[in-house]
Amino acid sequence: MPVRFRLMSMRTACLAGAAALVLTAAAACSSGGGSASSKPSVQTSNSSIKAPPAKAGGSLTVLEGKGYNGDWPLGLDPATNTTGAADQDYYNAVYGQLFELGDNGKLIDDLATGYQYSNGNRTVTIDLRPGVKFTDGSPLTADVVKWNWTRDLESSCTCAAEWTVARTNPKVTTSAPAASVIKVVNPTTIQVNLAVPDGAFINQMFDTIPNWIASENSFNKMGEKAFAQLPVGAGPFTMISDSYSNQIVMKKNPTYWQAPQGLPYLDNLTFKSVSGDEAAYEAMLSGEGQVYTDMSTPQLLTESAQHFDVLNQLGTSPYDLQLNTAVAPFNNPKAREAIYAMTNFAPILQNIFKNAYPVVQGFTGPGGICYSPTVPGYQGYNATLAKQLVQASGLDKVTIDLGTISSSPVASETTQALAQEWSAFGVKTTLHSYGLDALIQAFTANAGKSWQAMIQTAGAYDPAGGVGVGFRFNSTSPFSGVHDPKLDSILSQAAASSSLSVRCPLYNQAAEYIAKNYYGPFYFSFAPANVSVKGVAGPGLTTPLPAVSVTPAILWEDVYYNPSGS
Amino acid sequence: MAAQLPDMTAATLTAGGQPPLPSLVSARALRWQKVSRALRLWVPAALLIALLFLCFVWPYIYSIPPGDSGSILDAALPPFSPGHWLGTDPNGVDIFSMLVYGGQVSFEISLAVTAFGMIVGGTIGLTAGYFGGWADSILSRVVDVLIAFPALVLVLAVAEVLQPSETHLIWALSVFSVPAFARVTRGATLTVRNLPFITASRLTGTSNWKIIFKHVLPNVIPGIVTFSLLGIGIIVILEGAVDFLGLGIQIPQPSWGAMIAKGQNVLTAEPQYVLIPSIVLLIFVMSLNLLGDALRERWGVR
Amino acid sequence: MALAQQVQLQREPGARNDIVRRVAGSPALQLVGRRLLTAIPVLLGVTFLTFVVMNLIPGNPAQLILGINASPGAIAKLDAQLGLNHPFWDRYWLWLDGLLHGNLGIAYSNQQSVNSDIAQFLPTTCWLLLYTLVVSLLLGIVVAVLAARRPNGIFDRISLAVSMLGLSVAPYALALVLIYVFSVRLGWFPTISNSLGDNPLTAIRALTLPAASIGFPLFAVYTRLLRADIVEQMQREDYIVTAKAKGVPPWRVLVVHATKNSLFTLITLVALNLGTLIGAVAIIEPIFSLPGIGAELINAININDLPLVEGIVVVFALVTVAGNLLADLMYTVLDPRIRYGRAAS
Repeated sequence: MPVRFRLMSMRTACLAGAAALVLTAAAACSSGGGSASSKPSVQTSNSSIKAPPAKAGGSLTVLEGKGYNGDWPLGLDPATNTTGAADQDYYNAVYGQLFELGDNGKLIDDLATGYQYSNGNRTVTIDLRPGVKFTDGSPLTADVVKWNWTRDLESSCTCAAEWTVARTNPKVTTSAPAASVIKVVNPTTIQVNLAVPDGAFINQMFDTIPNWIASENSFNKMGEKAFAQLPVGAGPFTMISDSYSNQIVMKKNPTYWQAPQGLPYLDNLTFKSVSGDEAAYEAMLSGEGQVYTDMSTPQLLTESAQHFDVLNQLGTSPYDLQLNTAVAPFNNPKAREAIYAMTNFAPILQNIFKNAYPVVQGFTGPGGICYSPTVPGYQGYNATLAKQLVQASGLDKVTIDLGTISSSPVASETTQALAQEWSAFGVKTTLHSYGLDALIQAFTANAGKSWQAMIQTAGAYDPAGGVGVGFRFNSTSPFSGVHDPKLDSILSQAAASSSLSVRCPLYNQAAEYIAKNYYGPFYFSFAPANVSVKGVAGPGLTTPLPAVSVTPAILWEDVYYNPSGS
Repeated sequence: MAAQLPDMTAATLTAGGQPPLPSLVSARALRWQKVSRALRLWVPAALLIALLFLCFVWPYIYSIPPGDSGSILDAALPPFSPGHWLGTDPNGVDIFSMLVYGGQVSFEISLAVTAFGMIVGGTIGLTAGYFGGWADSILSRVVDVLIAFPALVLVLAVAEVLQPSETHLIWALSVFSVPAFARVTRGATLTVRNLPFITASRLTGTSNWKIIFKHVLPNVIPGIVTFSLLGIGIIVILEGAVDFLGLGIQIPQPSWGAMIAKGQNVLTAEPQYVLIPSIVLLIFVMSLNLLGDALRERWGVR
Repeated sequence: MALAQQVQLQREPGARNDIVRRVAGSPALQLVGRRLLTAIPVLLGVTFLTFVVMNLIPGNPAQLILGINASPGAIAKLDAQLGLNHPFWDRYWLWLDGLLHGNLGIAYSNQQSVNSDIAQFLPTTCWLLLYTLVVSLLLGIVVAVLAARRPNGIFDRISLAVSMLGLSVAPYALALVLIYVFSVRLGWFPTISNSLGDNPLTAIRALTLPAASIGFPLFAVYTRLLRADIVEQMQREDYIVTAKAKGVPPWRVLVVHATKNSLFTLITLVALNLGTLIGAVAIIEPIFSLPGIGAELINAININDLPLVEGIVVVFALVTVAGNLLADLMYTVLDPRIRYGRAAS
């Protein structure tokens, strides 16, 4: 079902139901060029696919699924496009990024060359790459970046930058940032002064709009509407045509900063929106597309593996069964514990997801930092305990409302399976499958008191960024069922530091705290797979990338298509 | 969706042509015609009765697995598995049961909608056709407005606004069956009304009600009944379309349209999820159409 | 008007005015005028109905557009901008007024004018419908004529069986089966068609399966109707018997006379079916990823984009009313029996 996006992070959160064949963990705890110190343990090997030798030139058609990345109804101006990070593929192709997340979580400098934290992690200084020009010829300078970031902070869409900074009008969250916030040090150095310490600032850049820099010159010349349709950036490709939520045609940018190195390889890049996994699979079979991002249907992944390269990404966003602690029945901890004890994820994982993912008990996944699959004190499936708890909490006397997003068939199947499991203990459930709009309404209606239980994803490459743990567990988030100042404080401490040796133990503590209070059981950490025809190669297509929040960002400048070399 | 029929086409869907003059045809050919005419009536009728039996009687005399839940351990079994002769869906729900219970819902909805249309629409059409004048003008305009509305759009919008459910679907679909029946009834009434014997009755002072019940209705009913058989088929397909889009019967309640929609996601990998409910739907609607044809032939409806 | 009268009129002075008066008073034109007038309340009723239904949808569109983090101030501002804070009747009149000037408003979701949105998607749908109608009509005529040649013959029986199948199949189920057989297994047609391409060949390839899904049931109806009509004419109408008695060859009788008259009924039916046809498009287009107006309608309904839904529905309704009107006009004006009959009475 076609679903529209308003909420960037909402959408990334709600992308559920990915299946991959065998997920091998290859987490990375990144450390940037700045002040991070020790690297906590890196997970096991990644599963790359053998790629043919590089070939310059050629065309590639990439298929994107409707209801998520295949929709861009408002165009591609980062500050006004409510679909936000879902459109990362197009943004990355036309704008490039300041910093990129590469194989094994390595930080890659693209349009920026480095960063430094200072002032107790309250100031971040970023160095820009000198000599970079937009495709309209104007230079990418710190002034242009400041113009972009100011727009990003003032944006009233949910895609807006979430930096906590001083505002000219403190009461209005979208008012202009105070003059001291963004400082142009020199044409290639820019500085951000935050109101609170944030050691995860750079990690939070990935997949957020400050990472994509638009040409101020072209914006002023073309006007907002025209710019949104044919944006001008400094990325590896330039826009040729754009039919909203349908098709984008791009071609190689001859003035790309890596053009002397022969990048991008491809001459032409076309994106097409298709109705879903099945349509994409059929299209690839008949040669109408060479790449499909984010396939999640298990049966189709098995089929695809017989004809194409299927790359399992590194999971960073576990499924979570959110429980709303603000209303009955889940304001009662015994009822929440009953849910933990009643739910057996093993058969669901086996039968719906074909055992593709590792079971986790917290909000971290093998592809992200601070991965910790087990959580001490986590209540697992226990039928006897469940029966007692159901009796004690009276859960069998009420009907539970369980919802999920409708754009994923496996999410819906999961809710059905849960309802079946719970009925064995006498608990009745009503199932809801929401389109994105309706989902937002369900969460926010009646001051957040309308919903009881939702299956969503929680967690990101960096739990402090994207649809991280705060999104689902912070008391200020409208999508959270938890309002616990103690948890809030643990999470904000964890975000403040830039040292993983400080942050990871704090996140472990948070996960234990969540388990102890039964705020919501986690299932397993999934990540959608990218499918490509043999001969296509690149980061995210033949070498796995960690997903920033649910979906990894393919680095298009490094993608090539060598049909004969496969 | 099959075409919405204006008043005149009910007659033109007659299956066979008129038989040639008897004197040119052998006795054996005549007998064969008789047999084939009987077959054309009774075979679809039997199929329909069998389907109805399967959906409404069978589950109560022989226990079948529930159609809205199943054990996750039985997920995605292939056809001819023990205990699940048509297999199961990815949640372990038995497909045969989904067909049976989905069929119950489809029958109920289409019968309710058609009955409503026949009664309300028939009354409107009869009134407009018989009394003519003003009543006709106004009623016809109202009917025109409803017919001009693209059916699917209104049904979807209604499903969006009121939570999608069986009752709401029935209301929304009735908005379309009523004008269709009104038109057909009006046309049929007009044809009958101007016949000499009706005029004679009116001139001799017979009350309108008596004329309507004794003369008009009996002549109009065969056309309405045969049209309603066609209408049931159209409603089932339309309702399936709404379920297909996810705005009709909600999971976990089964419905044919939703089964087809779900099967769409794995069409290449497991085509049976689409094929099985599609074939059942086809058989159901075809039996209705064949029966309607045969009855039209039998009753000589023009 | 009878020829004699016309000639007589032309000879008289001031005859021109008379002719104008005659034409203006001619029953055919009067009928046309009357039908056009009655179309207006229908259109009004349709727009009103849409507006009512869409406005019952809960949720504040401004909130949905701006998203969760929007401040109440921003929402209020957008509310005022979109005119959402006005009472129901004001909004309806405002929209209707815009409609009469050809302006369908601004879509909520992408802030573009509804006119331009529709203009973007309409061509694809038009091509699809044109293709569907032309092919199903042509095939329908050919099959019906061949079948009517020998009623109850082999070809007739086969055509009846096939058209029965067409009447009973659900277009969405048919679409999926066609995709499976012709696109996936045989590869003859593309499975997705994000654009119709730059040459007629790609466009035809892209549109064939969707057209077949919608067209097969249509073809079935047309075939049956036409065939039954022709057969009936051949066996009942006096003029056919006369033609046969005069020695006109049977083939000529069939094609020239009977078909010509039956075609008239067929065309009326086509015009009447336009509305349902357009409804079918809404289900078929998304299955094939066709960027047409049906797909856009489903999208718009799902995101509660009121102006866009209203705009599209109005276009649908316009076409349907136009179709009905055309059918009525043809029926009354072109039917020679009625045309001459009225003038004489």
